[in-house]
Order: sequence, then structure tokens, then C-alpha cells
Amino acid sequence: MESLSPNQRAWRRFKQNRPAVVSLWFVGVLGLFVLLWPLFSRPAFANILPIGLTHSAVKGSDAQYSPPTLTHWFGTDIHGRDQLSRIMSGARVSILVGIVGALVSLVIGVLWGAIAGYVGGWWDGAMMRFVDILYSLPSIVFVIVLITTLEELAKGWLTQKLGANVAQYCRMLFLFVGIGAVSWLTMARIVRGQVLTLKNRNFVDASRSLGAGHTRILFRHILPNVIGIIIVYITLTVPSVILYESFLSYLGLGIQPPFASWGSLIAEGAGQLNPVRVYWWLIVYPAVTLVTTLLALNFFGDGLRDAFDPRG
Amino acid sequence: MAFVTASLKQANWIRRWAVAACAVLAIWATGCGHKEERADLVIMNGAEPESLDPTIVTGQPDGRVAGALFEGLTRFNPKNAKPIPGLAERWDISEDGQTYTFHLRPNIVWSTGEPITADDVVYSWRRALDPLTASDYAGQLYYIKNGENFNTGKTNAATGNRYVKEDVGVEAIDPRTVKVLLEGPTPFFLDLCAFRTLAIVPRQAIEKHGDRWLMERPMPTSGPYTLEFWRIHDRIRVRKNPRYWDAANIQNELIDLLPAESANTALNLYLSGEADVIWDKNLVPSELMDVLKGRPYVHTYDYLGTYFVRFNITRKPFDDVRVRKALSLVLDKKRIVERITRSGEKIATCLTPPGMEGYTSPEGLGYDPEQARKLLAEAGYPGGKGFPTFNYLFNTSEMHKQVAVELQEMWKKELGINMELRQTEWKVYLSSQSQLDYDTTRSSWIGDYVDPNTFLDMFMSGNGNNRTGWKNPKYDDLIRQANQERDPVKRAKILYDAEVLLVREDPPIAPLFFYIGVNIFDPAKVEGVHQNLLDEHPLWPLKRKDGRTAAKAAAAK
Repeated sequence: MESLSPNQRAWRRFKQNRPAVVSLWFVGVLGLFVLLWPLFSRPAFANILPIGLTHSAVKGSDAQYSPPTLTHWFGTDIHGRDQLSRIMSGARVSILVGIVGALVSLVIGVLWGAIAGYVGGWWDGAMMRFVDILYSLPSIVFVIVLITTLEELAKGWLTQKLGANVAQYCRMLFLFVGIGAVSWLTMARIVRGQVLTLKNRNFVDASRSLGAGHTRILFRHILPNVIGIIIVYITLTVPSVILYESFLSYLGLGIQPPFASWGSLIAEGAGQLNPVRVYWWLIVYPAVTLVTTLLALNFFGDGLRDAFDPRG
Repeated sequence: MAFVTASLKQANWIRRWAVAACAVLAIWATGCGHKEERADLVIMNGAEPESLDPTIVTGQPDGRVAGALFEGLTRFNPKNAKPIPGLAERWDISEDGQTYTFHLRPNIVWSTGEPITADDVVYSWRRALDPLTASDYAGQLYYIKNGENFNTGKTNAATGNRYVKEDVGVEAIDPRTVKVLLEGPTPFFLDLCAFRTLAIVPRQAIEKHGDRWLMERPMPTSGPYTLEFWRIHDRIRVRKNPRYWDAANIQNELIDLLPAESANTALNLYLSGEADVIWDKNLVPSELMDVLKGRPYVHTYDYLGTYFVRFNITRKPFDDVRVRKALSLVLDKKRIVERITRSGEKIATCLTPPGMEGYTSPEGLGYDPEQARKLLAEAGYPGGKGFPTFNYLFNTSEMHKQVAVELQEMWKKELGINMELRQTEWKVYLSSQSQLDYDTTRSSWIGDYVDPNTFLDMFMSGNGNNRTGWKNPKYDDLIRQANQERDPVKRAKILYDAEVLLVREDPPIAPLFFYIGVNIFDPAKVEGVHQNLLDEHPLWPLKRKDGRTAAKAAAAK
């Protein structure tokens, strides 16, 4: 029997999980598309690519409210903007917010949890009670309050210091910080639990007896052992942050025009729902894209978890 | 957050419980809300009002409610919006047209029972002019002798003292007679008397409660309705005032005015039977107008309303007239009316809409991108280089947003400049405008009376509705001169010259289109919603034809 490292074994288990593999492919292809999308509208590609792929998300046209056709695969909105390209550029915002929000929660959560678990004692109790208190607050309300109270102040300050061009990204900054700041709690708990079990292991004692400092022990010996579960959890945080952002955008507190995210596209489409006439493509496509992506990210995260921790 | 809970159930139980508890609370709270009787008529009235004080309000939705609660010396004929006797039963006008003597009705009382006297009229008008009241509409009373002097705090050259409220040319001869001296012959003064700013407000309540007088109950009203309650973002409910002088002709008992900013919400409420009338210009479902236009419940009509863009003259680079002209010259207004508003609006190059007797507006700036680029280059921004990113302020509404996106693209495409959208709710929008806290803003103006002056005098330097920081002494002189002129033809010529300044030579605004009124109601069920040039819809003639009233429904129970 060949000998495999734990990571290789995990990868093998992951490959046997069909939904997870399909999801990985889906996310990969979508990510590639989203990244390359702005290139498609360049004149060089005009003759190579099908016309449905070469529209710009911000440019209006005369094709107002066109249903899905060969030219506009997902139809157009009132300004004649191509819906497919709007979804693609919305994906940039949604996914960016998802990743950055998850990273913010990663940094805060890992540091908080690791320190609490490693130091232990009174500090551990205080830090974890703080997490409990934050848990009890409705997090979405916290973000809404944060945005509505501090945004104008921050915007004025940014305009003064860095100019209006930077200040227009203020809302996006707030989404990163706000959502990141409420999604690190679970991460902190998991990391703390892992650190608690690891810090009394023999290899830690060994390294301590060799004279290693606390920082070195924490970052070179303990955290690398937690990395698997951190990755698993971060893949599950990304979709939940995307959903947070979409929810805020739906309420009108998320991304502001001219930027669009999936949430604001769905909100726009929902505005079209009435008994007289429904432009279904304005709501169906963004909603289906959002749901599919979230599902894929969750399958992928679950697959990773099963692979890294077969008992879980 | 179902994704999180799936993997880490135990970690999330606290949050789950919190959510569940909130849900239970919410259900319990709605279950407990006692069932309210349905009003005779439910009207979608537009944005949530800023205030209900007739002296303060400037917006149309606010004004409709304020107008139902407080009446002036005259009131609007609901059919054609001409002034008819209100609290005053008749009046005498002097030969030179500068002195009005109003005779109040003998039987008028506040909804709380005290008589309405000539002193109340004097008090109300002085209050509207008082600089401490800070009414943006005080300009409506500048036609009264010394009205402007008092409002702007001028000093009387003859005595060396500041003008005080006693100097204003309105006095009570006896409890039932009011004498008004005007600055000049003002052909539209009776129209003004029907306007909310000149409505009669309860002195005792205001002096007793100060700024909170609208919150106190009972609130004495002089108009056909009393305020039942005002629940922010839910509804305003008004009830027939049995002590109103013409109570016998009020065709309903209880009316709900619902705030809404989304045309689709309003339409959905109407189609599901929750609302009976939609009548605000911001609640027109423009995307659906092509389908709706043929339906029997959609009524379109012309009225005096203009949709335009204001530039903030106090901010760079809009202090430069070439920049403002350039921005105006690239607006493809045809595209906006054909693709966005879609109700058959006419494109506008001037501010005063057609339909004013004896007045034709000048031709303003048209569509000329070539010229615009030249002007922008002259102003120092060739190809838009160096032009700062500026904002465009508008109040929450699907249609305004769509217009904004179109403007954004036109300015970007033709001039290479970047505009940022700034969407706020109605109150923030109004206050940002009056504090000049914007770069460019979506604006509209609905005539308050059928005379070009209602559009033109607001851009005089001191006017509270100017809201651009634009000051043009020549313009001010022309408007003043026009209102001293007795010959209608000469007067029209002077107003024309003034408007040339406003829309062609030194424009602080860029007109887009003239409104088309759209009212939605079923004529088989509701009558009394009349379409007139001022888009005025008094509440008292509204009647349910099917005879179902709140009173009857209550009796049936």
C-alpha cells in the first residue's frame, strides 16, 4: 500500500465527492468568465466571440427591454443595457465583497480565537464572553446601523482627505468592514477550540523546552495544524457574506449605482413584478445565478470539510 | 445563514433562538394590532410628507394633506383650479388693483369650536413672512406691501428701523374684515389666497406648543378635514370636519393618504383593491404606460409641470456658465421622454410650460453636442479632462433613477465627465436642496396658479425655492418690473425677457420635459377626481359611487 500524506488523502476523498467536484468546476469556470469579461468587449474580440458575449455592462443601447435573443442572451433592461454583462459585472462586486469580507473575518477570527485559546485563563473567558455578546446581537441590524450612522461622516472625511474619486468607494469599504466585522465570530470559536486541544500536545511542549517563544509556537506550530479547518470554514463564509451583501443591496443599503451587485439586480427585477406585465428575464437570471453560485460554494465547502475531517 | 448552521449547529443555537423569538414577537404584535376600519377612500399620495404645516411645506404630496386641513381666504375650484370663495365669502378690489378688502364668512369656526377671525388671518400671513418661520414659500407673500422687506430683514430708509411684522400690509378692520395692501397690481392674488402658504393656521395652538403644535391633540384646523393620525411610513388619516363651513358638501367621511415612493408598489396596491386612487406624479408606472394607456382606469392630462435639472452655482465648476450650458446642450431629451417617461411628455427647452394664456416661452438651449464640447473646452476642460466627479441628487423613485442613469451616460459619452448618483429619501432630498448640499439635482416645479410668474419668480435671488445659489440682478429687476406692469402684453414681454436669461443666456437650470398628468382610479367607483392645469386635487369632492362608506360599514357591524 502506497503511503500518502494527509493532504493527498484528503484530496482523494474530495475527488470522490461528485457534487463537490462539479461545484468546483462551476465556480472555477464562473470565476474565469467574470475575470475575463471586461476583455470580451474589446474590439479585438468582436469577430471571434459570439456577439452575446461582447456587450458592456454600463453602455445603453436602443434595444430597450429586449427579451433574451441571440444578441442579448439574457435580455436587456430599460436603458438597453445587456443583462448578461450586468450579471457578470455584478458578480465582480458580489464575489469581491464575498472574498474580502471572508478575509476580514479570517484575520479577526483567527487572531482572536488563537490568542484566546493560547493564553487561556481570565483572558480566554473575557474574550469569549465578548464573542457571546456579539453573537446575541442581530448582525444584519448591526451592519445597517453602522452604514446609516457612520457613512456620511466617513464619506465627508474621505472626500476631504482623498478626493471624491476615492469617496465613491466608501460604501464598498463599509460593506467589507461591516460584514467582515460580524462574520468572524464562529471562526474565532472554532480556532479557539482547536488551539485549546493543540496547545497541550507533546510537540508544543517539545518546542517550548527548546526555547521557542509564544509567537513562534502559535504561528509555526499550532496554526499550521488548524489551517485545514480554517480553509473549510472560509469557503463556507464566502457564500454567506455574498448573501449578506445581496440582502443589504436588496434593501438599498448595499452597492450604489452605477455599480451593481447580484442583490441590486434582483431588487431592480423585483421592482418589475406587477400583474400588468412582467419582464421576467430581469429577475429570473440574476436570481438563478445567485442561487446556483451559493449552492456551488456550499457544496464545495461541505466537500472540503468531509475530505479534511472524515469523522465530521 | 443556513449554510453556517448546517455545518456548525451547536455554535449557532443562540442566534437561532434569537431569530425565533423575534419571529414570534412579530407575529404576536401583528396579531394584537386591532383591526382598523377601512377608510372611505385610500389614496396613494406620493412621498412621506416633510411636514403638514401649510406655511412650511413645499412638496406636492405634503401640500395636498396640508391643504385638506387648512384653508385660505379662497379655495380651488376642484374642476378648473380657479379660485372660488373659501373662508372669505366675498371681496372688494380697488380701482388700481392694489387694495383688497376681504369679508370673512360669518359662521366660520376652528374644528375645536372657536371662531376664526380676521386677526387669525393677519397672524397667519405675518407668521408666513416672519424670517423666524423660515418658510421657503414666503415669496408667495412678497406681493403684499412690505412683505419682502419684513421677510428679508431690510431697514426702512424713512425711519431707520428694521421692518417689523406690523409694517406688513395686512390688517384686521373688524373681526370679519381683512384689508390687504399690495406692492403692485397682482393679477393672480386671489389664486395665491387659495395656496397653502397663505392658509389660515391656529394661532393659539402654535403659540402654546411652538414647533410641536402638529403633534398636539386636538389640533384645530380651518379646512374641511381634521387630522386623525399621522403614522410615519404607514398612513395619514383625515376625518371630515363637521364644523367646516361647507361640511354639507364634503362627499366623504374618512380618507387615508398612503405614502409610497415606488410606482410599482402603488400600482400593485391599486390593482389588488387596497388603494382607490393614485395621483402623484412620482407614482406613474412609466415602464407600463404603453399597456396602461388604453385601460379605463388610467386618465392622462396636461398640466403646468416641468422636470428640470438644477446646477449648484455656488460650487465649482458649475459657477461657470459655459459648463452649465455644455451640460445642458448634450441632453438628448427625446430619448428620455420616449424611452423612460413614456406617457407622451413634450420635451422642454424652457421652464414655463405651454398653456398660459397670453404668454409664449422663449426657445432655450437645444441639443448640440458639438457646441457643448467647444464650450467645455473653453471653460478649461477639453474632452472632460480635469473635470471633477460630481453628484446628481434625486429622491427615491424608479423613474428618477432611470432618468439619472440616462443623464449619467449622456454626460459621459458626449463630454467625458463622470457623474455619481446620489439617491435619498424625500425629506433629505428637500433639505439638501435648500441647503445647497449637492452639485446637480433632479427638480420639478408645478404651477401654483395659472401665470408664468409662478415659474419665474422662484429664481429671484432671495426666493426660498431658488435652491441654486443663482443671483442675477437683471433678472430680479425684470420680474419686479413685470409685476408692477398693468398692461398684460407689455408684462408678458418683460417676463419673456427674464426667461431668456433663465434658459438661454445665464441658465442655472436645464429643463428636460413637461409633465403629463396621470391619475389612476376607476370612474365607476370613484368620482370627484378632476384633472386640471395645476394638478390640484382637493379631497372634499371625492366620492365613492358604490355608496360603501366607513360610517355605513361600522353601522352594519
